[in-house]
Formats: sequence, structure tokens, C-alpha cells
Amino acid sequence: MSERIILLVEDNPNDEALTLRALKKSNILNPVVVARDGAEALDYLFCRGAYQARRPAENPELVLLDLKLPKIDGLEVLRQMREDERTKLLPVVVLTSSVEEQDVLRGYALGANSYVRKPVDFDQFVDAVKQLGLYWLVLNQRPPASK
Amino acid sequence: MTESAASTIEASRRQEGMRLLSEALHEFAEATADYPRLLKVVAQRVSETIGDVCSVLLLSDDKAWLERATFYDRDPEVARQYAAAMQEPLSMSETSLAREAMRSGKPICIPHFDIEQFRSRTTPESYELHRRIGANGVLVVPLRVRNEPLGTISLVRYRPGHAPLDEIDVEIAGNLANHAALAIANSRLLRRAQMEIDKRVKAEAALSESERLRRAEQDVARANRFLDAIIENIPDMVFVKDATTLVFTRFNRAGEELLGLGRNELMGKSDYDFFPRAEAEFFIQKDRETLASKTMVDIPEEPIQTARGTRWLHTKKVPILDAEGTPVYLLGISQDITERRVAEAQLLNAIQAAEAANRELEAFSYSVAHDLRSPLRAIDGFSQALLEDYGDKLDAEGQKNLERVRASAQHMADLIDDLLTLSRVSRTEMRRQRVDMSEVARAIIARLRTVARERRVEAVIADGLTAFGDDGLLGVILDNLLGNAWKFTSKRKEGHIEFGVTERNGAPAFFVKDDGAGFDMTYAGRLFGVFQRLHHATEFEGTGIGLATVQRIIHKHGGHIWAEGEIDRGATFYFTLADEVTTP
Repeated sequence: MSERIILLVEDNPNDEALTLRALKKSNILNPVVVARDGAEALDYLFCRGAYQARRPAENPELVLLDLKLPKIDGLEVLRQMREDERTKLLPVVVLTSSVEEQDVLRGYALGANSYVRKPVDFDQFVDAVKQLGLYWLVLNQRPPASK
Repeated sequence: MTESAASTIEASRRQEGMRLLSEALHEFAEATADYPRLLKVVAQRVSETIGDVCSVLLLSDDKAWLERATFYDRDPEVARQYAAAMQEPLSMSETSLAREAMRSGKPICIPHFDIEQFRSRTTPESYELHRRIGANGVLVVPLRVRNEPLGTISLVRYRPGHAPLDEIDVEIAGNLANHAALAIANSRLLRRAQMEIDKRVKAEAALSESERLRRAEQDVARANRFLDAIIENIPDMVFVKDATTLVFTRFNRAGEELLGLGRNELMGKSDYDFFPRAEAEFFIQKDRETLASKTMVDIPEEPIQTARGTRWLHTKKVPILDAEGTPVYLLGISQDITERRVAEAQLLNAIQAAEAANRELEAFSYSVAHDLRSPLRAIDGFSQALLEDYGDKLDAEGQKNLERVRASAQHMADLIDDLLTLSRVSRTEMRRQRVDMSEVARAIIARLRTVARERRVEAVIADGLTAFGDDGLLGVILDNLLGNAWKFTSKRKEGHIEFGVTERNGAPAFFVKDDGAGFDMTYAGRLFGVFQRLHHATEFEGTGIGLATVQRIIHKHGGHIWAEGEIDRGATFYFTLADEVTTP
């Protein structure tokens, strides 16, 4: 069985470092692939461009998606994912600074599985990541893989 | 005859007098509409009650004469003889008994009358008559209404068998005379009114046909002048065109002012004489449309070239049809809407500018939320990383400083969040609905308890409190007020918080009450200002934005908020929300 990959879509290197640290502190030791903009995330998911060689069967177990991204924003990434058979059922947790009602609503409308606001307090962030990991990587029953 | 027997007779005579009086009153009232008959009824009544001949004398209009109005005796022959003998009116300068009674206003009673003694004071005919019938008693009572002398009623007795006239006769005659006088006065008024009406009816009937025509023409002219005055003073331009030639036949003052042309310049001319060709053609086309359709045509906006430049009109054109339904005139009413158009355009610009500003503000808020928070996360996160990874290389002071860095980052994050909430209150469109305030309050208290499990707080929340408003915003109100109550009771061993409804100034008001640190009422006015704090940050943390947000939400709901407090004695915040939806 292949390793359960987490795809982190995040353009801010600080947030990337903090997220990785939070994952580690939460004892989530899954490999993390980082995409630094929306286009790269889609390339990775659909095995295009720099990720042409990637095996589609090794789809990530969980996508942590920031909304404000260069090139293609997070909501657009989400929309394209939900339109594609290959990624339609992939759990996506929106991880963002924004609590604007519109963003939350649109996030859920486009099929986000969770919506988490990144807290400033790092301890709280670690807590949130721990719970996310526990839920999506351990407790959650995945849909049966399509043949 | 004993005295008591005499008084019994007296009483029964008086009673009989009253009965006759009340009968007479009915008759007088019924006869009021018929003046001559009324006089006859009066004379007959008095004659029958007291006896024998009764004459009614009335003062002439010039008050110089007493005219003999009517006579009555139950023997018609005697009455006739009286009428014949007394044809001449009595001059008021003569010294007759009637004149004397009328002058003095008092009755004259002569129980034992001897005509010989009055020979000099009466006419020969009268003397002769009275002597012949053997008059033996006379009673004259004045007729007066509200102290105005009207005339007299005179009675002459000649039949044998009467008791001599006495006080009771005088009293009864006086009562009859009073009521008769009133009936006579009323009847005269009625007769005068009737005569006036008759006179007018006759005058109307006597009008000649030509006079009638002249008056009708006068009426029409008056009505026309009235209509002209109305049209002339209507503040909108009013014009009339001939339906065939479409030349102007009428113009009002507002029209002259609008076009800057006198009506003499306009009469008999058409639109082509004043306006650019394309404009005139448009006007004419609308005229034809109106006349062809025979209904009103509304032109909401049309430009017109005037001495003052281009003006904009809202015009209504109405066809004026003759009796056969053929259009004869075209009536136009034009309102100058130039100023309104300018104002509308300015308003539209202002709205667009406001919307643009609002969008900008939203974009700004969004980046504040996103962009300002992420460096704070880095500050806090890496400070924590330092503490965890290099904590052993830092002394206590160094570690404490890093904690200060983290606390400051957190405080700034709170400020940003609170400012965003405050700005969101102004920006969000309210969706009003019935909100269960008790439920919201309970959820908030439960959340506060999970964060500070060590706190001992008794929270009393009244059941079934509801409000009509935006549920998100109402939640923000309770979040802040209950959060404050929670915060300011934190130094108490056991805190008490209460949420309920009470009556203030005759209306229900919600309240949140605590027994915490309280505040000095001197500064109550500053409670709701942005960044206003009444406690030091070292005592109680906070951003100073919460209550400003609460007040803004409450105002947005049409309500009020105020607070009462005392240092170390707790605080109570009251608020109202206008319960009805006010649509703009």
C-alpha cells in the first residue's frame, strides 16, 4: 500500500513551515507534498506539467488548501477538483486566514469538506491540525476506490 | 260662606284655569302657522274662559296705533256689532284703557264698570255699543314678549249671572295673554319668513327671458374667469393647440416663463416657428399621435430649446373632443424636470461612488483579515518554535520576552478581528428573523465555561426571550456583553451573571448584569466609544472595540443601549431593539 500523501497548497513559506511543524508536533508523519500556487496544485493533482511522471494512483489522502494563492486561487482549484472524476471525492480542508462569510459559503458550496481558520496562536493551530489529522487520516472512512 | 269653603272654590278655579291654559297652549301651537286663525283662537279661548266679548288689539309696525285685530263673542251678532263699531284703530296718543295697560305692562281690572264714566275716553260708536249691551265689567291685559309690548287683550262683560271679576280672573287672563303673546310673535316671524320666500319666488318668476339669458352669460363668464385664473396660476406649462392646424391658441404664464416668449408671440404660430426642426417634428408627431388615438399620451422626458438653453420636460398631451367625439383641441401640460434630472444624476453618481467605496472597503477588510494576520502567525509560531527548540539556551528573562512577543501578536490579532467585526456590522445587510436570545446566551455561556473550566460562575438566563433581528449580529451583542460579564467577574471567587428582560422607561429592555469589577458612572459616556477602555490592560485585557460594535448593532436594529455600574459592585447593561421591521 502506497503512503498516504498530504497535499499542502500554500504560497507563504512561513505558513508552510509552521504547518509542517504543526503536523510533526501532532505526530502526523505522512509525507507532505507542497504546491506553492493554484496552478502547481492542479498540475500535481492531474499529473500534468512538472508532475507528468506522477502515478495517478498515488493521489493524496488529504488536501490542505489555502484560498489566497498566486496564479489560480484556492476556490478555483477546489472547483476544478470537484469537476474531475479523479479528484471529486478527495477530502479538501480549506485552511485560510479569511473568515469572510462569503468565502466560507463559497468554500462549502464548491464542496470543501472542512473550513478551518488558521489561528494566530500557534498552540491553537497545533490543536486544530491534530484534530484535522485525526479525523481525516484516521477516523474517516474513505469512499471505495473506483476501478 | 266659610273661609275654607272659599279657598276650596278658589283652588278649584285655579285648577280649572290651568286645565284651560294647557288646552289653549295646544291650540295656540297648532294655529301658529296660520296667523289670522291664531288670533281668532286666542280671542275665542279668552272669551270662553273669562267671558264675554274679547277683542285682540295689536300695536302697528310704527308703534303709533293699536289695531283691532279680531273680536269674539259666543253671540256672532254681538261680535259683528263690535267689529262694525270698532273699525277705526286707536291712536296711541289717546287715553284708552288699552293704551294704559300696554304702556304700564300691568292688567287693568274694573269689576263694576260704568260706561258713563268712560264716555270722554271712547268713541261715540263704542260708547253707544257698550251702553246698549249693558257692559258691567272690563279686564284689559297687556300682550308682551320679552318686555316688548305687542298689544292687548280686552274683555267686556255684559251677560248677567257672572260673579264680579277678581284676582283669579286677572291671573288666568294674564297667563293666557303671556302664551298668546309668544304664539303671536312666533307666528309673525313665520309669516314674515314665508312672505319673504313668496316675494323671492315671485321675483324669480317675474324675470324676463332676456334677463335670464344675461344672467346665464354672466355665470358662464364668471366660470371662465375662474378657470382662466386656475390655468394661469398652474406652475406647469399649459398650452392649447388647434387640432387641425396645430397652432397655439392658448398659453399660460408658466409656459411663457419656461420658453422665454410672450403669449402674443406664440398665438397663431406653430412649433416650427420656435424650435429646431427635429425637435418641432417630434412635438408635432406626438400631437398627431394624441389626436389620432383620442387618448392621453405621456412623454416622460423630452428636451426643448428655450431662451434659457435646453430644458427637459415631462409632458402629457390630451385630446379635447367635441360632442361627436372629434378632436377640436390638443391640451398639453409640461412639467420642467430639468432640476430633478440633474439631482437624479447626482444622486446616481453619489450612489455609485458610495458603492465603489464600499467595495473598496470590503477588499481592504479582506486583505486586512488575510494579510495582517499571516505575519502575526509567523511571529507567534516562530516565537513558540524558538521556545521549544532553543528554550534551554535562553534564561528566564529571554523566555519571558518571547512570551511577551507572543501575547502582543495575539492582542493584535484580537484587534484586527474586532475591527473587522465592527466594519462588518456596517457592511452586512440585515436578515431579520425571530431569534431565541435565551438559547444564544446559553450557548455563549457554555463556550465560556469550556475555555475556563476553573472559573466558578453562576449564570441565570431567563427562559423564552426572543428578539426580532439579524441572528448573527444579535449573537455578536450577547457575545460581547456576556463575554464582558465573564471577564469582569474573573477576580471574584464566585461570579454571578444574569441575562433577562426588565422594564425601563415603560418599555421592555434586555439586560446583562454581573457582580464584577463594575465601573465609575462618571465615565459611562465613554463606554461605547471605539478604543475606549475604563480598565487597565494589566487588569483586564481587551481591545476597546466590543461595546462600540454592540452599540452599532443595536442602533442598526433601531434600539438603544445604556449601562449602570459602580466600582467593585458590578455592571448592568440594558438594551432595546425596535421590534417591528422598518422597511426603507
